Amino acid sequence: MSDTLCPRCSSASAIEDYRGREEDTVVWTILRCKACCFSWRDSEPASTIGAGVRSADFAVDAANLDRYPKILQQ
Amino acid sequence: MNDLANRARGISSLRDFLELLESEGQAITWNERVTLEPDLRNIAVAASRDANGAPAIIFDNMVGYPGKRTVVGVHGSWDNIALLLGRPKGTTIRELFFEIAGRWGDAEAQISYVPEGQAPVHECRTESGINLYDILPVYRINEYDGGFFLGKASVASRDPEDPDNFGKQNVGIYRLQLQGPDSFSLMTIPSHDMGRQIMAAERTGLPLKIAVMLGNHPGLAVFAATPIGYEESEYAYASAMMGAPIRLTKSGNGVDILADSEIVIEAEMQLGERVLEGPFGEFPGSYSGVRKAPLFKVTAVSHRRDPIFENIYIGRGWTEHDTLIGLHTSAPIYAQLRKDFPEVTAVNALYQHGLTGIISVKNRMAGFAKTVAMRALSTPHGVMYLKNLIMVDADVDPFDLNQVMWALSTRTRADDIIVLPNMPAVPIDPSAVVPGKGHRLIIDATSFMRPDPIGEAHLVNPPTGPDIDALSKAIRILQQGAAK
Repeated sequence: MSDTLCPRCSSASAIEDYRGREEDTVVWTILRCKACCFSWRDSEPASTIGAGVRSADFAVDAANLDRYPKILQQ
Repeated sequence: MNDLANRARGISSLRDFLELLESEGQAITWNERVTLEPDLRNIAVAASRDANGAPAIIFDNMVGYPGKRTVVGVHGSWDNIALLLGRPKGTTIRELFFEIAGRWGDAEAQISYVPEGQAPVHECRTESGINLYDILPVYRINEYDGGFFLGKASVASRDPEDPDNFGKQNVGIYRLQLQGPDSFSLMTIPSHDMGRQIMAAERTGLPLKIAVMLGNHPGLAVFAATPIGYEESEYAYASAMMGAPIRLTKSGNGVDILADSEIVIEAEMQLGERVLEGPFGEFPGSYSGVRKAPLFKVTAVSHRRDPIFENIYIGRGWTEHDTLIGLHTSAPIYAQLRKDFPEVTAVNALYQHGLTGIISVKNRMAGFAKTVAMRALSTPHGVMYLKNLIMVDADVDPFDLNQVMWALSTRTRADDIIVLPNMPAVPIDPSAVVPGKGHRLIIDATSFMRPDPIGEAHLVNPPTGPDIDALSKAIRILQQGAAK
């Protein structure tokens, strides 16, 4: 578990999924939020992953996940 | 048959097609070092500006993925589509439409099977410790996508209730979002074949195993996105359309797959499980919402040596999505309409997967174009997608928007517009009243035609009076006598 906050829902439940390497150097890391399923690369522009920079229109409220519909219900 | 046509028929893989594109100046390699975000997106968007002539772009120098290759824009221009069909660059969209329409249902399918041990797609195989990020140089396609998406994956699956039926096996392009190293979610709707199979599996508790093909025969890629009947095989259609055999093999989990694909991911649906999926920048040019979608667990990955990862830029058009499926959306509507109405002369449903369609028709009688429009709304694709229909005369080329605008300007009467309220709508259409329900519009821009001449309404004057009354009475008396 990393201390990194999710850029989308601000939860502190990110896990590392992959490290991009060149020779033996890590050049970026892919993280995933266990709360809202957002995945990101830590090298992405601030408009996508920067707290306070990223558009609030795309925020997810991790405390209210019931509002998101479930597809293919029967 | 000319050389280009022969070369097109000889294509059996993405690699073959890239070679053909390169020789015609329609595929380039981007050697400069690029970031996965935002460089790949920016370059793909810049290429999309040229819908007629954009080349496919191969990236072989991506930060963090030394030695790996990604390609975008394989179907990204009309010139690339022309070469796929064996026609020269510069062939008009109208000619390409008639090339496809002419081949529709015209030839026999030729399917051949390659033993798994000899299939290039199985050259390298991983069955444990799978991390998809090791194999796929994924990137964020649009900046507010909810994760890393596979936008051009052809998903093959068997009907869980009839797994031995080849025709019911489905191949479709569905967006997949990686949900960790060995999982992904899949987005579909109940009216799509995959949606139907997922619901059947969850209803019966039967397993749903799928094979996700990436970097495919370019002929299959268009058919995976084409609305054909549930019991029709996309493989058979692709073979018939290309006039050449399609080489299949088996995936490790028993699904028919292309023997020459770059990468195949085998996976099984986790019955009843849902994970947050999206948003994703979709073909109407807006983001889908966030929804809870089915989750698949990866069981194995096969790939060719040094596989090429193929992806697509999709968003506000034009994009590769439009050139990939535009003509293959138009041709089946044309074929289906012509069965009942041979007066239909061309169909242009290039715009946003047919959200707007233009149909040329010879009016057989007054108001006939409206009847044809109603029939178009009931074709398999029309049911959900054909939102705005513009009907034009046969002397108007629906692929020439100047001519269409002329017809709208000079032949439309305002009372020849029909609005059909509260019809089915594509859930991601941002103009829907509520997602999944909206209004349809038919504009009849054909010339005014008078009804058939019916002559003057001279009335029939049957005989009346006491003589006829007496005859009626006589009939009743005879009838009563007969009843005794």
